[in-house]
Amino acid sequence: MADPLEKDGAGVDDEQPRQRFVLDEGDFNEVPAKYRRFYRHWRGAGDQLAPNEVICPVCKIVIRSTRELRPGDRVYCMACMTRLRVTRSPSGQLEGECEY
Amino acid sequence: MSGTRERVSDVHDLAPEAFEREVHSFEFWFQAVEGYLHGTTYGHRPDAAATPLTDSERDRLVTVLCNYCVGETAALEGASGLVAIAPNRMTKVFLATQAVDEGRHLEVLLHRLGELGVANPEAEIEKRASASILEFRRRLLALVGSKDWEAALFAQNVILEAMEFTVFQTHAQTADPITAQVLQGIVKDERRHIGFGENELGRRLRESPHRRARIGEVKRDLDALVIETFAETVRDIGIPASERPDLGRAYLAAVSRLGLGVS
Ligand SMILES: [Fe+2]
Ligand SMILES: [Fe+2]
Ligand SMILES: [Zn+2]
Repeated sequence: MADPLEKDGAGVDDEQPRQRFVLDEGDFNEVPAKYRRFYRHWRGAGDQLAPNEVICPVCKIVIRSTRELRPGDRVYCMACMTRLRVTRSPSGQLEGECEY
Repeated sequence: MSGTRERVSDVHDLAPEAFEREVHSFEFWFQAVEGYLHGTTYGHRPDAAATPLTDSERDRLVTVLCNYCVGETAALEGASGLVAIAPNRMTKVFLATQAVDEGRHLEVLLHRLGELGVANPEAEIEKRASASILEFRRRLLALVGSKDWEAALFAQNVILEAMEFTVFQTHAQTADPITAQVLQGIVKDERRHIGFGENELGRRLRESPHRRARIGEVKRDLDALVIETFAETVRDIGIPASERPDLGRAYLAAVSRLGLGVS
């Protein structure tokens, strides 16, 4: 899982500092080894997204970043080769929206 | 291929062009498939347990696998044909990796039929293939043959791939361990194919919105066949009726993201 490492304001202008995360290597094996820690499988009911995670709407893999994610951020799903923009759903959850 | 593990600070910092180049390459493909196919033989681990099947279970599984073989043959022929009409080299290279994937899918499914005691898979496929999947294959290849890039890509990498992705994923949940492993491996490949189709088509429609009408036409033309093929397959797998509406969800979500939701 993602563990908060430190608060860090790098790359952010006038916003709250972002949490940073150390990504561990899980069992995700669908992308080259150097990219594996940026992805994990959704574990079904009971699973929860951390602040640095969004689900890829195309292939349903969980995408992870070393930074807390916020609306407007760009993330990539390498499992299905999709570029996504992070948005906030009406329910308040972060979501990935395809950017073709 | 494992070698020294290169560290990547954050993959999401890549420039879009660098990301595109990376994921569409053979280099990326090699290392991706190595992760989940290493140590497998014909798509499953050699020590996967062969559970005994009753005669009727075996017979139904053979019918399902024969129809998967038709779908995978269509995908192999479709992907190979798309290489010739793809608009640029990066896309051609990616489709070459897809053609290799589809060839592997066909091979492991044929091999699984052999393991189930089917002596002549070609003849068995001939006998058991459903009319709807054969018709879908015919229409897909006609679109590829007519060099209609967007329409053929939609039929192949959005419709057919979404159908396979969902059906294989669902089937793997109840299949015997060997078939389940074979299907799970295929699903991992299909993730790249559905993503490629949706993203490439999304880009084309963004650049040339007038093409949307043509894709809508293809969709209307093929939707009934897709639904029929889905229905036949899920009946043969033995999925309860209550779970069936879910099966079309990946396809419907993709067409809605592409702005093709209304038929
Ligand atoms: Fe396939
Ligand atoms: Fe495929
Ligand atoms: Zn994805």
